[in-house]
Amino acid sequence: MSPVQMTMKERVLCVLKYLFLALCVCLALFPILWVIMSSFKTNAEILSNGMALPQNFSFVGYRDALTISPILSYFGHSVIITVISTALNVLLLAMASYVFARCRFRGRDALYFLLSLAMVIPMTALLHPVYSVVQTLGLYDTKAGLILVYTALNLPMSLLILRGTFASIPKALEEAAYVDGAGFVRTFFQIMMPCAKGGLTSAAVLAFLQSWNEFTFALVLTSGEEARTLPLSLSYFTAQFSFNYTALFAAVTIAVIPSIVIFAVFQEQVVSSLTAGSVKE
Amino acid sequence: MKKRLIAMLMTGVLCAGTLAGCGSGSDKQEDSGASADGVITINYPTFQCGVNTAAPVVAQLVEEFNEEYAGKYQIKLEEVPGDANYVDKIKVQLGTGDLPPVVYGAGYNLLDLALAKDLVVDLTPYVEADPEWKALYSETALNTNSRDGKIYASSVEGSVVGYFYNKDLFAQAGIEAPATTWEEFFQQCDKLKAAGITPLALDTADSAWVTQLWWGAMVATSGEEGMKFMQTMNPTDYNFPAMVEAVETVQKMLQEYTTLDAIGGKYEHAANNFLSGQAAMIANGPWMIGDFSDTSKTTEGFADKIGSAIYPDSFVYDAPIQGYFVTKQDDPKLEEAAVEMVKFFTSAHAQQLGLEMQGMVPASSTVEVTDEAKSKYPLLVEFLDQAAGAELRSDNMQATMFSNLLDVVSQELPRLYSGELDATAFCQALTDAAAKN
Amino acid sequence: MKIKKGWIPVFLLPAVVLFLLIYAVPLLMVFGTSLFDYRLTGTGMTFIGLDNYIRLFQDPDFFQALTNTVIWILIQCIVHVALGTFLALILYKKPRGWKFVRTAYMIPNIISNAAMGMIFLNIFNPQYGVINSLLKAIGLEHLTHNWLMDSTTAFPSVTMVWVLFAGYTTTLVLAQALSIDESVLEAAHVDGATPFQTDLFVVLPLLKKIIGTTMVMAATYMLQMFDLIYITTNGGPGKATTNLPLLLYGVYKGENNYGYANTIGVVIVVIGVVAMTVINKAMKVNEEDY
Repeated sequence: MSPVQMTMKERVLCVLKYLFLALCVCLALFPILWVIMSSFKTNAEILSNGMALPQNFSFVGYRDALTISPILSYFGHSVIITVISTALNVLLLAMASYVFARCRFRGRDALYFLLSLAMVIPMTALLHPVYSVVQTLGLYDTKAGLILVYTALNLPMSLLILRGTFASIPKALEEAAYVDGAGFVRTFFQIMMPCAKGGLTSAAVLAFLQSWNEFTFALVLTSGEEARTLPLSLSYFTAQFSFNYTALFAAVTIAVIPSIVIFAVFQEQVVSSLTAGSVKE
Repeated sequence: MKKRLIAMLMTGVLCAGTLAGCGSGSDKQEDSGASADGVITINYPTFQCGVNTAAPVVAQLVEEFNEEYAGKYQIKLEEVPGDANYVDKIKVQLGTGDLPPVVYGAGYNLLDLALAKDLVVDLTPYVEADPEWKALYSETALNTNSRDGKIYASSVEGSVVGYFYNKDLFAQAGIEAPATTWEEFFQQCDKLKAAGITPLALDTADSAWVTQLWWGAMVATSGEEGMKFMQTMNPTDYNFPAMVEAVETVQKMLQEYTTLDAIGGKYEHAANNFLSGQAAMIANGPWMIGDFSDTSKTTEGFADKIGSAIYPDSFVYDAPIQGYFVTKQDDPKLEEAAVEMVKFFTSAHAQQLGLEMQGMVPASSTVEVTDEAKSKYPLLVEFLDQAAGAELRSDNMQATMFSNLLDVVSQELPRLYSGELDATAFCQALTDAAAKN
Repeated sequence: MKIKKGWIPVFLLPAVVLFLLIYAVPLLMVFGTSLFDYRLTGTGMTFIGLDNYIRLFQDPDFFQALTNTVIWILIQCIVHVALGTFLALILYKKPRGWKFVRTAYMIPNIISNAAMGMIFLNIFNPQYGVINSLLKAIGLEHLTHNWLMDSTTAFPSVTMVWVLFAGYTTTLVLAQALSIDESVLEAAHVDGATPFQTDLFVVLPLLKKIIGTTMVMAATYMLQMFDLIYITTNGGPGKATTNLPLLLYGVYKGENNYGYANTIGVVIVVIGVVAMTVINKAMKVNEEDY
């Protein structure tokens, strides 16, 4: 192969690469753009031709979304519940994952397998029993109840991610810490946690998104205005024989924008921590 | 060892502290029951909120009730938007036995589920003791709300369902008045089609409400066997000649007389096809009348083009919607409060309020249609007059079928449309599914 | 290292308690009740041994749902994960705009499934949907379909609703790929490997574990897939797009037969365990690094 041919081939590959990336971006942005566009259309427009552009821009949908459903207070609850459950989940599972990745003890693999079983349990089947458990604990219709459930819901995913993260951190680091006289807890929090930043952030982002969008448990485990979360507000706009799709899509927009922002910000965090972490060798 | 203990404690405190910190709701949580000042609070979860037509009526009733019984009873409204969500929630609570004091059975037959668990308060003595209340029960209302001779529930709303047609489109096809026989009806469909107009707005998703209304009307008017079927609760056999014949006609309706998007379409799509003037007829109840003048859903002046009709062969759906019932509570005072609430929410006044505010059909025919209602909902009044003249009436098929059939209908109608199933096979699929109960 | 041993239970305790409360206890209840005739409408529970399981193996709907579920898991583990990994392999070299692509590609996974379902109802709509409009525009009118409601096209059409949105996979694989040491890549370059060879023989093997992890995630995601199907086809036409969770839901909500629903739940757990074990073995996800 002559160098000229190489560049030709490379050029084609490069064009193909960017075409592929462009395709991925279009594919990915289409849904969110469609939702935002629909929030400016009338019900008739949405149902008659879902793909057409809105005929005139109005914020009626947003006004309706705010008046029909208590979306703002639900939003507040969602923030509190999601943030706390995400933080708890990542902290508690980082502790467990660290032990699984680093310590040898009897029954470790069996216990790990048992915990990762959580991943394959169908949540539909668990609805009923979980309701009983939460009721028994006296946490029905409280934020604490939902926090408990959401912390647990993300257990298997975080376990999977964090165990891998801790396993991939070089052992030399902690050994050095022990030699320096640091205890187990200090080593974990001051040496290992910072090293695992990438995994922790990935786990946190996934946990955040899942808790933010969770619907079924939020519905069944709450009753009043104390602990209702954002996804529940979406049900306000479609009843059996009446509907307000404009307001529905306005509400979806209101619900989705913060998650996108949080995701974008956190994503940056992951990368910077990874780049910082690569000096560790 | 000591260190380990401390650490364990720390972790425990950390978790407990965080949970308690955001669990402030648990202290404030107001359960149904008496509070220190002697006021009894009734927590009332309802799906009649948000865009639900009855939402303003329920809100008004709660306000009036709380005013009238101030210092004694108080209703705390708990919004559970979405009918299906409400049913799900009640079912979960049924499983654990702690139902809210008042439950609205609506079109979901929650009454029988609660009765099976023996959780419902017998209202008979209360109704018997109150002639005004008793007068509101018609024979059909008694049927809907009683089991084994005992009254368990009280209805507020009736379900009188015919169909609406677009007068402009009818005129374009040269049709003067709605059909009185099925033969004439299908001639009209052909005329409309010949004029380039889609005759029917239909759907198949979400248990095919609109399509199912035509289908049931054909079954009900097919003769004695069909009518008996329509009046049976939870029928198990769908494989009889009149049913197969009706399903064949439904197949034809889906294939020839409706829009492409009816297959897989929801009620909303059917409604939109009618509201946008694309289809000439839609089977639906009077709750739709408000939409005819909603400019976010249709064009200005659409309401003036719409006429109402009962089904061919003088048939109309007419049955009270299963009403409110009281569930057994530990505190007898709470039960009493709940009975008061049910009485209040289904009183003649409440029914009139629903009619005047939202054009809801009263459950009882003794409730007067006031001039205010007449001027606000002329089409409703016109339709109720037509309905009063109907010779045949029954409940709709969806209200009486086993609930697992609802999804089966949605799943199999597309196959009926494509011809993958013939009418007999379709009916057999329903019979098979019914046998699973 | 004595202190270290002592801390093990402390570190494990919270996670184990969570697991017991929200998973183990409920799961035991599910297993237990699958041996009973247990219905919402019944007054009590009757022990019936394995009758529910016997019914299961005589139920044609179950086999259809089982087949659909397994096919979907395979498609997701192969197509979906491959797509996500392929994108990550392009992005880790940091081409222009890579950050934007990475964030954008994740967005569909953030939007609630209710909205995603409705978007696809519009795309596949027989009357005005994008696909049929496109086909008409390029003169292929005879190919137009009611995509979601035709027995022949429903399954692949529903699959499109999720299979292309591999944001999670890309995010996780990319994070791992970015942490690969530069020196490894440089060494490959010095040895004369083309970028393609480097990706295939150097980078991919290093990503094997995380790809295994995303496969487990993809498999369990499909094993639990419910709302997107429910909104778009509701399992129809017939049972063409019914999977095990949908079947379970129908038995649970429609027939109110909790015992039988939980029997299906047990099957889902068993399939999950099998899938997880197979993937872990194949990708050596759990192999120690020591």
